[in-house]
Amino acid sequence: MDSSELQPIFDFVNGLVPFNQLQPESLEWAARQLEIAYFPAASHIVPLSDDDRRLYIVRSGAFEVRDKEGELVDRLGEGDYFGYPSLLSGDEISNSVKVLEDGLVYQLPEECFSELCSANREFSRFFNRAYARRMRHEGRFKARSMLTTSRLSSLMSSDPITIDIDQLVGEAARLMSQHRVSSVLVQEGEQLVGILTDRDLRSRVLAEDKGPFTRIADVMTTAPLTVEPETLVFEATVLMGEHNVHHLPVTRNGKPVGMVTSTDILRSQSSQPLLMMGEIDRQTHIEGLVNLSKRIPMLLQNLISADARAEEIGRILTSVTDALTRRLIELAQSQLGEAPMDFCWLAFGSQGRQDQVACSDQDNGMLLAREPDSQEAEYFSQLAKIVCDGLDACGYIYCPGDIMAMNPKWRMSLKEWQQRFSSWVNSPEPKALMHASIFFDMRAIYGPERLFDGLQLSVLELTRDNDIFLALLTGNAMNSRPPLGFFRQFVLERDGSEVKGIDLKHKGSAIINDIARVYALSAGVREINTPKRIRQLVDLGVINRKDALNLADAQEFIAHMRLANQGRQFEEGQKPDNYLKPGAVSSLVRHQLKEAFKVVDDAQSGIRLRFMRAY
Amino acid sequence: MSSVPGLTALARWRLSRRLNHEAEHCAVPWLAAYLASLADLLSLPVSQMPLLAFDLEMTGLEPSVDEILSIGAVPIDGPRLTLTGAWHSLVAGDTGVGQSACIHGIVDQDLQQGTKLERALVELFARAKGRWLVAHHAPLDISFLTHAIEHLYGINVSLPAIDTMALEHRRLQMTQQPWVEGGLRLAACRQRYGLPLYPAHNALMDAIGCGELLLAQKSAMQPASVIELLQ
Repeated sequence: MDSSELQPIFDFVNGLVPFNQLQPESLEWAARQLEIAYFPAASHIVPLSDDDRRLYIVRSGAFEVRDKEGELVDRLGEGDYFGYPSLLSGDEISNSVKVLEDGLVYQLPEECFSELCSANREFSRFFNRAYARRMRHEGRFKARSMLTTSRLSSLMSSDPITIDIDQLVGEAARLMSQHRVSSVLVQEGEQLVGILTDRDLRSRVLAEDKGPFTRIADVMTTAPLTVEPETLVFEATVLMGEHNVHHLPVTRNGKPVGMVTSTDILRSQSSQPLLMMGEIDRQTHIEGLVNLSKRIPMLLQNLISADARAEEIGRILTSVTDALTRRLIELAQSQLGEAPMDFCWLAFGSQGRQDQVACSDQDNGMLLAREPDSQEAEYFSQLAKIVCDGLDACGYIYCPGDIMAMNPKWRMSLKEWQQRFSSWVNSPEPKALMHASIFFDMRAIYGPERLFDGLQLSVLELTRDNDIFLALLTGNAMNSRPPLGFFRQFVLERDGSEVKGIDLKHKGSAIINDIARVYALSAGVREINTPKRIRQLVDLGVINRKDALNLADAQEFIAHMRLANQGRQFEEGQKPDNYLKPGAVSSLVRHQLKEAFKVVDDAQSGIRLRFMRAY
Repeated sequence: MSSVPGLTALARWRLSRRLNHEAEHCAVPWLAAYLASLADLLSLPVSQMPLLAFDLEMTGLEPSVDEILSIGAVPIDGPRLTLTGAWHSLVAGDTGVGQSACIHGIVDQDLQQGTKLERALVELFARAKGRWLVAHHAPLDISFLTHAIEHLYGINVSLPAIDTMALEHRRLQMTQQPWVEGGLRLAACRQRYGLPLYPAHNALMDAIGCGELLLAQKSAMQPASVIELLQ
């Protein structure tokens, strides 16, 4: 018998990652070991036995994997696998597989699976990765920090020195000299309530003629600025600079878990974006800033090749933009004089969300503490012009939609902004709302926090549980669908050079941003950054952990592909865009992309069910 | 499908007696062994009964004139088809392939390497030993087999087989589903159960397609006895 008699079965298996990585002989051998079974939906579950393990390959139909607690782990369709976790781990089968739609399943017996795994690295790697992904889906949040080098947790001192708030200053001083540290964290119960430093002992105790019997509570800094272990080193540095502190307690859920000092950070080598931000702050002319900004593409390139997470790259690039903006505002003020009232510089859209990439345009506005008179209005008009022109010269081109602080329309008092948001929220026309959605991703780059809080809190007050508004916003978020159908074409057009590719931004990242925004506004979440929004939504119980992890993974993967793609375009001297050409990726990546888009599709259905049901 | 247990038991007994009788009077040893092996199967529960799905490609539809070109078969054990046991054989005949080459893609040259019909039959029934035969539109395939046996050995034999087409016909009638012309073809029947489309047209893939269809039909009909399937 020659192979052609089973051609349709070979063809199907050969179209699957990782079987397509096998040598033709191995593939043929594997296909001949298959067994075929049929599972009707009426039978409900696929009987799985520890004595008879197999790799199951869905040929047709639909299946669902649930864990011991009955929670959904995965949904499977044609070309998907199940049964591999217990094959790899040797553990007892704990998940169950439910039949959603009558289906035909090819099964590879355990010996054959093991044989293929040991014969082909790509093959075993694929299933090990899939297994790792499953494991993550089954209850983690800790596996987030893969890139430890640039995080605080890598250089903070764990086991921080702590003291109870009821103790006296003398005891604190003894503790500090005993452990040779320059600060001690003050606890009430398990919660961090303050910090006492060398400097405090000097200026608040000795200089005030107080002695060792002073209560710690009287001289400590209360409610100190804190960070989390996952905070990037460079972000911590920025915080220290902004708030002029040298000690940053590291906490998790309010409990101290570590301490970072400016010396710790100095000791760790100074990284490139940090250097760049330092240089930005030293510039005294716009020309200097323009020159510095020419390094941004190279910075992006270095970050991509250093394999930084896409989420971090977005935050780092946005921090550079923020620093440039702040410096421009300062330079403008040194030219025009002090501002006549408090104001905030607002960033919208990608800068607001901290997910800027190469070639971003500017989206900004200005929030004034009160209604300006004509002279004050003129001042802010000139300030905005200087900053926007400066940003344009630095490569952040003028917003095509004219959403910029230099446009008087987007330079308003707190009251006017509140009214504007109220008109978007309360009398929403779908179209107007669509153009307004970037305003809901706003962040203050400059100015007093409480002024910005006044605006943001009032906006969230308007949107929270506002069914009509949320339904319309959801409707807008459904306008663009992930390109699931694309993947069938993908194969056909593999060598076509005219294929435009997948729009990773508008068909991927943007939809996820939309989804996170809808949820965040529905629950009054203040975070703007999409991954942070998702994390907070999980903590609040708005979305379940599994969906959130899927969505966060999809977001990271699509953003990563987009950056990697732009990095390659940059290297090849092309203008970076958001289109991923089908020929540019391996079938493995295609498989993963398809999975990511599937998650986006599911999440879209999720918000539709949740927010559009009644309309 | 419900059935009256008493009648099923009776029908089982009748079939068993017939098979044993045929086996005892069969002059061809391998065929006698095959028939005897079937009688032993009657006591097995439906869920465990071993099957062999098979398909023949012929030069036409008339057993007395046309010839078998190729045979494909795949065993079914319990709930699974096992491809390790899949078998395909070309059969060398006396006449050329003629017009049907267009349908099957088999040309005379391939057939020179084929086995003689007798050897192919011996191999088929060796694989079928202890298994019920299954085919789509079984009467046609069976008539070619019995005709070949008569031609080779001069004996008449009756071979029981499960016909997935007849099962589908029955099921459609019972559920009062309308069916259109061609609705009982293998591909059309498979579609009803959400089974995938197999593009190639050869004896082995058709045998596999037929075997999968039977698995689907079994799960839909929940037969209490093999008798219900053989009817």
